[in-house]
Amino acid sequence: MRFISLAGPVFRKLLIGTLFICASMAQTAVPASTEPQSRAAEIEAARDAKAAELAPEDPNKWEAALIRVRNEKILERLSQGIAGVRVKFGGLAPGAGFALGPEYLRQDLAKGELSFRAAAQASFTGAQKLDVEFGAPAFGKGDKWEWRLQAVRHNYPRMNYYGPGPDSEKTGRSNYRLEDNSFDTTLAFKPIRSVQFGASAGYLMVNTGPGTHNRLISAEQQYPPFRTAGIDEQGNSFRYGVFAQVDKRDNPGGPRSGGSYTLQYNIYNDQSLNRFDFSRLTVDLQQYFPMFNKRRVIALRARSNHSFTRDGQQVPFYLQSVLGGSTDLRGYRPFRFYDDNSLVLNAEWRWEVFSGMDMAVFGDAGQVFRRHRELSFKDMETAVGFGMRFNAQNNTFIRLDVGFSHEGYQVWFAFGDAFAPALQRTSSNFVYQ
Amino acid sequence: MMKRHSVRRLAAAAALMLSIGPGMSRADKFYSDDPLWKEPAPRHVDSAKFRALSDYYEFAVYPFAPPGELNHRKPKGGKQRLVYAAGATNTLGEVPDNSWYANRNYYKAMSKEEIQAGPSNVGPPESSGKWLVISAKNEGVTPGFTIQDSKGRRYLLKFDPLEYSELATATDTLVSKLFHALGYHVPENDIVHFTRDQLEIDPKTKFTGPDGKKRAMTERDVTEILLRVPKAKDGRYRGSTSLYLPGTPLGPHRYFGTRHDDPNDTVPHEHRRDQRGLWVHCAWLGHDDSRAINSLDMLHEDGGRKYVMHYLIDFGSALGSASVRPNSPRSGNYLFSWKEVAGQFFTLGLNIPEWAKAYYPNYPSVGRFEWKTFDPMAWRPEYINPSFENALPDDAFWAAKQVMAVTDDQIRWAVESGQYSNPAAAQWVVECLIKRRDRIGQVFFRQVLPLDKFRVEGNRLAFEDLGVKHEMYGAPSYQVTWANFDNKSETENAIAGATGFDVPGNTNGAYVVARIVGDNAEKDIKVYLRRSSANWEIVGIERGWVGKSKLHFATSGKS
Repeated sequence: MRFISLAGPVFRKLLIGTLFICASMAQTAVPASTEPQSRAAEIEAARDAKAAELAPEDPNKWEAALIRVRNEKILERLSQGIAGVRVKFGGLAPGAGFALGPEYLRQDLAKGELSFRAAAQASFTGAQKLDVEFGAPAFGKGDKWEWRLQAVRHNYPRMNYYGPGPDSEKTGRSNYRLEDNSFDTTLAFKPIRSVQFGASAGYLMVNTGPGTHNRLISAEQQYPPFRTAGIDEQGNSFRYGVFAQVDKRDNPGGPRSGGSYTLQYNIYNDQSLNRFDFSRLTVDLQQYFPMFNKRRVIALRARSNHSFTRDGQQVPFYLQSVLGGSTDLRGYRPFRFYDDNSLVLNAEWRWEVFSGMDMAVFGDAGQVFRRHRELSFKDMETAVGFGMRFNAQNNTFIRLDVGFSHEGYQVWFAFGDAFAPALQRTSSNFVYQ
Repeated sequence: MMKRHSVRRLAAAAALMLSIGPGMSRADKFYSDDPLWKEPAPRHVDSAKFRALSDYYEFAVYPFAPPGELNHRKPKGGKQRLVYAAGATNTLGEVPDNSWYANRNYYKAMSKEEIQAGPSNVGPPESSGKWLVISAKNEGVTPGFTIQDSKGRRYLLKFDPLEYSELATATDTLVSKLFHALGYHVPENDIVHFTRDQLEIDPKTKFTGPDGKKRAMTERDVTEILLRVPKAKDGRYRGSTSLYLPGTPLGPHRYFGTRHDDPNDTVPHEHRRDQRGLWVHCAWLGHDDSRAINSLDMLHEDGGRKYVMHYLIDFGSALGSASVRPNSPRSGNYLFSWKEVAGQFFTLGLNIPEWAKAYYPNYPSVGRFEWKTFDPMAWRPEYINPSFENALPDDAFWAAKQVMAVTDDQIRWAVESGQYSNPAAAQWVVECLIKRRDRIGQVFFRQVLPLDKFRVEGNRLAFEDLGVKHEMYGAPSYQVTWANFDNKSETENAIAGATGFDVPGNTNGAYVVARIVGDNAEKDIKVYLRRSSANWEIVGIERGWVGKSKLHFATSGKS
């Protein structure tokens, strides 16, 4: 008996023929056999087709990466830190440049009763800030008391200085190095959520020196000591004071309604030179008028610093009130005006562009002055401008403002709200004032 | 030796012979089992695995490159804008019961007990015994626990934000009841009140502390979480429980495409009527957080057969709640859209959008919820949702009639399940839901002819005029024309003189079609009838709307 090989040409021809005959018969006998005969069969046919091409259900590589960001809490780690360590952005004086550095934060000490924070930041212009803070953020009956101990070191190698007074010239720009170390303690009491008052005391050591800006003259070469008190020698001061604040803002990180009303009185006792004893009263009033469900806001602020000296005593230039910068006169360079006293008025019209960004148009007016009778509203320096404020969870985290004045325009890239901070309970950040 | 690929070629040639040529058959328009009210039982799924999705990705990509086959857009390389009719429907345009949806209140009014019980009728955790804490969610601003009651049932236990007691829990609970009544698969959510000592930590429970390290959970951890949630004067805590869904979690479903590992998932989600209609349902309930991560696919097992069920979950960010705070007044609009950004950017904020003018009464437990500025047609979730984007007038009508079928009493019963302590707050929610419901009817019933529930009574075509039923207009007049219908060729031959609602006697086939028009000829309805022994039965419905004839309908190229 002869067997047909399965691989041979005879078998192949037979197979082809058989298949074609079967196919033709199938068409003739059951013409609609390939079409579903019911809706249920149609659904089953679609399932058949799908079953033949099943594949793993995987997100694309970008989505997979973002899932990893979510699952491994990478954003939380960046913002809240890994084992207390995180990156901190900004926080230096205006004009010091973009700054960042590590921060170590523990809020869980003694079962959350104590907190500790240490940070070191540097900017690309060489400015540095080191600060350490230890405290009890809420203690006593009803957790109404707060206590903090803070040590801060600043080193700003190129601070602007244009000379004293409201009539200083833009062309008089110089620069100097400001170094200070301070130790302060603060005790605050919050009888109700929106009210706090307290006292602070501390020790401040300041040194100034030649500025490092290679295109600007150093301040001590242009401004003699009789014009600029403290430019030749700096003292160490014991300082203490009291403060009170009523804070009715709806959200201090990006207020849209309410107001903040702050009074602060500090006394500086020069411990080494006996030349720079003075006291200062700071008033900061902010009011936010919401409209259209807070999607439109008129924001107003008045901030003044008034210094009081006894005979023979002066306010050293590095502790004077300053105007010009991202939070007051925004059409002027940082630290454009120095004097013993200052008043600045700001008004903003803010509107929401989309949920992550607000815009604002603003007008600023301000003046520094030596004596109170020199304050003149018609002589105030003015600036106008516009800005974009990016926010997350209703808090402004990045702000881009462009201010215009008769001295030109300034572009500010800053963190936080334009009118923050409303209250400084130590003067470790005095360069903002 | 014969090569394997030669065999394949031969088989392919034979298959080709079977599928083409003069003998090829064409599918009938209607099958004998139409209209199908329940999809065939799902086939066994053995390959589906859990996979996560990223809300970050959706938020970053969708506003700029929305995925899926979107209506009214040119496909890649195409010259004209295409439109895709809804799928996963029967020939009446209804959604058959399936793993996504079940017909409930529209066809059989639900009782108070059914509305308030929700999907499983299991109820909240047993209040008499201890609740074993299995795990805890500590990070973020919405803490919570997974608990097991004395009967061994597991629940998610969620809380309100500290300053807004009842806001999230009431919303999560009552909205789940309404979504269930509308037909979606949801977990059973209930309000609970408990004391601190009712929680007992399972010795095996792990906890991630503030230092990021995992360790055994302590009583202090539970206390610290409870410090962040509202506590009543009687010392009890209020939460909402969500009964664990049966089966194995597979992760969320997308609002486009299909699950590649599920053979039963054959219709792209952006074309499913139940998912397109979800847009209207979310608009009604202010569920602007209706994104993929608030859905969950579960692998069910039933008698050894596994299949995927698709759930909506987590309704805490609906009505006037944003879960952790009151909703933004922007709710109901995209967080970002180029058009609005341009409009706001260049007008210095002087162009005030309507939503910003809304008035919200001061009910902290309700948040920002209102009806006066509610525009159902303009309502959008936080960012683009391909299914919602694809809704056509007939999809919206299908969804709107479900909403309109929820009665005032049923709304009150659902709101009762939210257990607002302030009756005025509860009444405000009821009022808003009623007014928003009515506005949905007014808007979407006008896009098509709102006639439904067709039937043949005696020899007369009868229907429910939803516009009349819901007192949107008086008794309108409709014109009817009849035609014989060839189910194979889908051709119509007019029946002379047949113009009333009586089924004409001089028909010559198994099918006839009645075309009904009102005051606008484009808004027509074609009702297909099939002779069934001595009677006629409704077998198909097609709705027209203004501009439909100019659309270029296409068949989805994806599955």
